[in-house]
Amino acid sequence: MKWRLLLAGAAYAAASYAQAALTADQVKSFTLPNGMKFIVLESSAIPNANMYTFWKVGSRNEAPGITGLSHFFEHMMFNGSKHYGPKQFDRTMEARGGANNAYTNSDVTVYQDWFPATALETVFKLEGDRIASLSIDPKMVESERGVVLSERSTGLENSNVRRLMQDLNSVAFTAHPYAIPTIGWESDIKAWTQKDLENYFRTYYAPNNAVAVIVGDVKVDNVKKLATRYFGGIPKRPAPPAVRTLEPEQTGERRLFIAKASAVAPNLMVAYKVPEAGHADYYALDVLQSLLADGKTSRLYKALVDTQISNSIAAFSTDGFDPGLLYFYTVSAGNVGVDKIEEALLAAIDSLIKDGVSDQELQKVKNAKLLNIYRAQETINGKALQLGNHEVFFGDYRKTFDAPAAYEKLTPADIQAVAAKYLKKSQRTVGVLAAKEE
Amino acid sequence: MKQLMTIVLAGAAATAGAADFKLPAFETVKLSNGLTVYLMQRHEVPIIAVRAVVKAGAVNDGAQAGLANLTGDAILLGSLTHSKAAIDEAFDFRGGILSGGGGTEQSTVQANFARKDADTLLPLFAELVQQPSFEQAELDKLRGRKMNVLRQAKESPRQVAGTYYRAMLFGPAAYGNPPGGTVNSLGALKQADVKAFHERYFRPDNAALIVVGDFDPAAMRKQVETLFGPWHADGPAPQRADYGKVMADKPRVWLVNKSDALETTFLIGGPGIARNDPDYVPLQVLNTVLGGRFTSWLNDELRINSGLSYGANSSFNHLSQTGTFSISSFTALPKTEAALDLAHKTYERLWSKGIDKETLESAKAYVKGQFPPRFETSEQLAGLLGDMYALGVSREQVDNFMRDVDTLTPERARALVEKHFPRRNLQTVMVGKAEAIRGIAARYGEVTEMEITADGFLPKP
Repeated sequence: MKWRLLLAGAAYAAASYAQAALTADQVKSFTLPNGMKFIVLESSAIPNANMYTFWKVGSRNEAPGITGLSHFFEHMMFNGSKHYGPKQFDRTMEARGGANNAYTNSDVTVYQDWFPATALETVFKLEGDRIASLSIDPKMVESERGVVLSERSTGLENSNVRRLMQDLNSVAFTAHPYAIPTIGWESDIKAWTQKDLENYFRTYYAPNNAVAVIVGDVKVDNVKKLATRYFGGIPKRPAPPAVRTLEPEQTGERRLFIAKASAVAPNLMVAYKVPEAGHADYYALDVLQSLLADGKTSRLYKALVDTQISNSIAAFSTDGFDPGLLYFYTVSAGNVGVDKIEEALLAAIDSLIKDGVSDQELQKVKNAKLLNIYRAQETINGKALQLGNHEVFFGDYRKTFDAPAAYEKLTPADIQAVAAKYLKKSQRTVGVLAAKEE
Repeated sequence: MKQLMTIVLAGAAATAGAADFKLPAFETVKLSNGLTVYLMQRHEVPIIAVRAVVKAGAVNDGAQAGLANLTGDAILLGSLTHSKAAIDEAFDFRGGILSGGGGTEQSTVQANFARKDADTLLPLFAELVQQPSFEQAELDKLRGRKMNVLRQAKESPRQVAGTYYRAMLFGPAAYGNPPGGTVNSLGALKQADVKAFHERYFRPDNAALIVVGDFDPAAMRKQVETLFGPWHADGPAPQRADYGKVMADKPRVWLVNKSDALETTFLIGGPGIARNDPDYVPLQVLNTVLGGRFTSWLNDELRINSGLSYGANSSFNHLSQTGTFSISSFTALPKTEAALDLAHKTYERLWSKGIDKETLESAKAYVKGQFPPRFETSEQLAGLLGDMYALGVSREQVDNFMRDVDTLTPERARALVEKHFPRRNLQTVMVGKAEAIRGIAARYGEVTEMEITADGFLPKP
């Protein structure tokens, strides 16, 4: 047997032992006088870079009549600004080798640019221009309404979970705007006005309401120089109004049913009220969620999928500024009634509350959390998301580096305590989507 | 790992500054039992990606659609010496990820775990690949779940439209087989079928073992030899056959009725190219112009100019011997006619107007700029090495990527459009409310109707 080296040379030598993992001192940050904050990480593994701009605006900032406006704005940000007419943002970026996307949820709107590091200045120029002076062309608004209506309908057509989550949110929240679907209600998408759009831009797209993260084959000094040049002149504006509404305490279980004729198996969603990101219970809840639903050895996989009553189980939650929901979503194995599935799901949760978790089970989740942090750090995009999310939702990007220790210090008693505290009947909303009501 | 950062000299001013890309260094060896082994070191994070790639897939299913796919998943159900529960426990406890599956032409078993756990988990991985148990009770459960997944997939037109399209293009040939099978075909598969499939195709002279990530090369070589050296096979290795060609001798439409559809989902196209075709790279650039990026012609027309759809794109789908090409989009039911019409008109621009120099240069820059992130992680690199083994992708295609993009001229682009993009006898799949769109479908060819709720992806015989 003979081992041979196919390719020797520079790449091979450079491959030898780099740093084991990302550390806080590798990350730099600065804030421009107008309040726009930048977080920069030099990372030269590939000759590319990214820019993730987090705006603290989402559907939680909306009200009836303008539901979906944050998300619509995400679209309008690509439709022209002072120096770049309609289509020019994308055309200019793509011609320099860059690509982009954006997403909106209840709490934030995030713009993602991915580009060869050499295109950094072009990207800053484009981003700076649309933040400083977006054009809201009525013609573009009309055409974009059609795009968003299509986005909304294709989501409902192709995804039961999307439909269920949308309707469940509107039942779980009675006062707080987390009740609003981020895509917006159809009638609002068709009806918002030019003035609504102009107000929204002025209110929320202030440089002091944004955090930009740049990771890649860049130099911090150069990022700072270019950031000052292209974003420094944008005037600071008053801080956007705070969301005042607090959700009153839920005092009993809530239920909803959605009929969808073509559903071949009932879908069940059970969601519990949980606190905001940054709360002291955050990491314990995150571990609880994984322990219940991540992997084939998780509690709910064993209780629902191994027993063949469900075909799949997933749990999810999104980081938010306000108390939100922890969702469990499962699809029936087909001929199994949804009552039986709900009973088994709740029994698994109750058993965790009653009997707690073992050291071994907790250690399993801790090990997985650590590996997943490494996995995210394998890409420049994973790093940018980690840093940006921690800055926005936990108040400091450095908290990214506290996560391993925060998981490590959790005890079985901590997990049992948060389960008992949050996974209570009075705090849950149960939704079913099926062909017809049982 | 740091890539080579040589500046491309061949390009014009527009390409100056674009970084070159070469596949990172790796070792390759063939063990005496015929197993091909690839080892590629990367040390950014203390993680190892391992994958066994076997040249077997839906093309080998014969009349038993879904057999390769079920076998690929069933590999994970335990080995002769370790139960499924013991294996799941071992991987989950260490934060490891174990997955598997059978595609059209390759089956993979994949593991991703911490460097320090290689001694514990790699032996389990080796057992699964070589001596899976296919334990009856677990196999029945898995098969039941997969049948349910197939039923549920039909709720979502976008999940199944491509499978109908492939079945339509290749007809009864092996490439037409639905990779996941059908509810009825899966229901008929027995443990003996799965065992026989494994026995026939999972053998060292028909497989590659790929290890990418943070490991000590000497120790890894030794471990691989110990674990995979004894694997042996009797008799000659399976050979590949002719898996079929696209049938496009007249325009045809398959209309798949989904009676409660809010929208119409459609695919339009015809034959494409094989994964190792010498024109693979330049065609990526041309497809970028047509439907491979946000400002592509299709997305520009169907989304940006008209608001008819949230998105429209086009792509080449590559197989080892041939391939398919398709335009795809979706639109609200009342806009079906307008969207299909505009998709055709836009596609025709490839011939009527052609691609100007400026657009071509932009697409070249885009394809090059988006190339390095495709091979950033150990999993991505392991996937590429797997394609090199199973689909015959040459490393020259990867290493010469930048050069092949740079040398593409408008003249050559025109010739490639003529040569590779199907212009006549287009094949169309529409999934939607048949009673409302039947007349529109008839404008694009001979219509065959079927119900989305019927088993499988073929019209009634």
